[in-house]
Amino acid sequence: MIKKKNKPELLAPAGDMERLKIALLYGADAVYVGGDLFSLRANAINFSIEELKQAVEFAHNLSKKIYVTVNISLHNRESDMIIDYLKELDKIKIDAIIVSDPYIIKLAKLNTKLPIHLSTQQSTLNYEAIKFFKDEGISRVVLARETTKEDIQLIKDKVNIELECFIHGAMCASYSGRCVLSNFLTARDSNRGGCSQICRWDFKLLNEKHQNIQGTKDFTFCTKDLSLLKYIPDLIEMGVESFKIEGRMRSTYYIATIVNIYRKAIDEYFANPKNYKYNLEYEKILRNCANRDSVPQFFNGDYGATCQYYNGRIEISNQDFLGIVLDYDDKTNLAIIEQRNYFKTGDEVEIFGPNISTISLKIKEILDEDNNIIEVVRHPKQIVKIKVNDKLYKYDMIRIKKIIK
Amino acid sequence: MNKLIVIINSKEQILDLNDYCDGIIIGLNKFSVNLPITFSLTEINNIIEICNQNKKQIFITLNKNIHNSDLKELKNTLIELSTKKIDGIIFYDIAIVNLNKDLNLNLNLIWHQEHLVTNYNTINYWHEKGVKTSYLSSELTLEEILEIRNNTNSKLMMNVFGYIPMFTSKRPLVKNYLESFKLEDDSKINYLEKENNIYPITYTDVTTVYSSKILNLVREYPLFIEKKIDYLVLNSFNIDNEKFKKILILFNKTNENNSKENFDKINMLLDYKIDTGFLYKETVYKVKKND
Repeated sequence: MIKKKNKPELLAPAGDMERLKIALLYGADAVYVGGDLFSLRANAINFSIEELKQAVEFAHNLSKKIYVTVNISLHNRESDMIIDYLKELDKIKIDAIIVSDPYIIKLAKLNTKLPIHLSTQQSTLNYEAIKFFKDEGISRVVLARETTKEDIQLIKDKVNIELECFIHGAMCASYSGRCVLSNFLTARDSNRGGCSQICRWDFKLLNEKHQNIQGTKDFTFCTKDLSLLKYIPDLIEMGVESFKIEGRMRSTYYIATIVNIYRKAIDEYFANPKNYKYNLEYEKILRNCANRDSVPQFFNGDYGATCQYYNGRIEISNQDFLGIVLDYDDKTNLAIIEQRNYFKTGDEVEIFGPNISTISLKIKEILDEDNNIIEVVRHPKQIVKIKVNDKLYKYDMIRIKKIIK
Repeated sequence: MNKLIVIINSKEQILDLNDYCDGIIIGLNKFSVNLPITFSLTEINNIIEICNQNKKQIFITLNKNIHNSDLKELKNTLIELSTKKIDGIIFYDIAIVNLNKDLNLNLNLIWHQEHLVTNYNTINYWHEKGVKTSYLSSELTLEEILEIRNNTNSKLMMNVFGYIPMFTSKRPLVKNYLESFKLEDDSKINYLEKENNIYPITYTDVTTVYSSKILNLVREYPLFIEKKIDYLVLNSFNIDNEKFKKILILFNKTNENNSKENFDKINMLLDYKIDTGFLYKETVYKVKKND
């Protein structure tokens, strides 16, 4: 008999308001966002206090949560400015802040009632460090990506504190916080949100005599993405409280797809843990969505050659995402679609969304805004109509149906 | 009184440099990273004795990211080191702070979360926690360093010479590359090349990538003395021993009048790319749209 655990939180990234709404509507229980200040994705669009206020309202109306990252490595001038910002976040009822600098923990405890989560930027891997931070007032730890399954279990056994684990997305090649390649090579401060992803650059590898050691591709630091889809039951049984998806810079389609798949996997396991079966189709959708290979990485204790990525810097943008539903007419069964990528009459597509089961169909006819029949939809953000017998909802998405090996 | 401290690359260097430095930083096998060499605990005990006899300061750096599997040995190590006459434990992982407190070890801890030691408020936070010395990040400007000095009672340690570690990973990245493309190489040190810059890359428990240029802050050395930066660290990693000794001697003799001359002398000695790190180069983090 499998002992039923509490349902974990599915936590998604949101780089802007649209992605925040998509993440929550597609099944995330909470989202994490960066504010205008003090966030490690300084070059995401990020949220002003006013936008955060709207985000909180939107999330709380759905009984969901908003966490704000305040996880840069403070320099003098920022460290003198932070109190007011923390008070603002408290005032607008943010559900928690994610911090790495212990000085911010102290300030937040003294000046706000904000729950405090420890950022993965601290690279917390062991229960002794967690005990220290728990005593400082942390209610949750975002574990380092280098933690293994055994590490997580041991920490769970030793310290009574909420744990948040990355389950999907890109990996730093270094221990978080221990890479300043970006500072040295591009003068952008990685620990203040300026990371320019040097880990994806190509380098020549030389031996000690400075001679080239050349493989068929150049050296990079880059690793494959993380995916723990296979280990969702293990993580639930271990009692991990929050399952985190990486990617505040990712697209709406990416967020919708990844959240949607993990939502299903978690719900399916919970509905019937005894008869839960791993769904290979989900894995294929995840793989296809990111255009990058993904592996379980350190969770399995694996960080060898098979985890590396040597495809150079070329990454094809995702062209599976064809369009987003803006509206649906119940009388005519016409869905109004905003185009994201080229599609045409005769294409086999899938429509997915938070309120529908995935629909497969062949596009028989496309109408433009004036109801003229057209064959192809080639213009970005072009508005068209297609007939779909099943009811669709705003924010449902259309993707090309692929036979994935 | 400020001190010149050396990160050594061999046991022999201790006696060789004895007359020109005030102390050394050494690492312990399995617990220390981003160093030219690490030692067994037995060797460290021996080095402690040598330093004690020669009245030199000795700092042990235990700066790896600690995994649960390391904790038992770490605990025993800290207990043993607490019985020795050492001047401080340089730490990265906060587990060391917790163990020092829980076990009442009274070790003199030095906060060195490498790239995260960037402001006086957090330094003061650690000072309140009993961590009386902070080892500054190398990514700070001169202005920031001086601001920190003016706003904390903590002792401060900082790098003034050598290659600077800029990347630490658990992944054996060179080995992974060689394996992926079925290549063979047994170099003790490798290099990465990009746009005529050469970055040393090593693996001992972790992969470390170092800066392509050698930090040389001898011109600012008199200012650091005047401003009472307590410990000024020279790193011997990948520097020829004879040259390193000459450089150390030059630092030792540097004053306001000869600092520029000594800067040039060191540059001549090394015949390699030298720079002043981020001292006069502020990093940006909010990139403008057209950057």
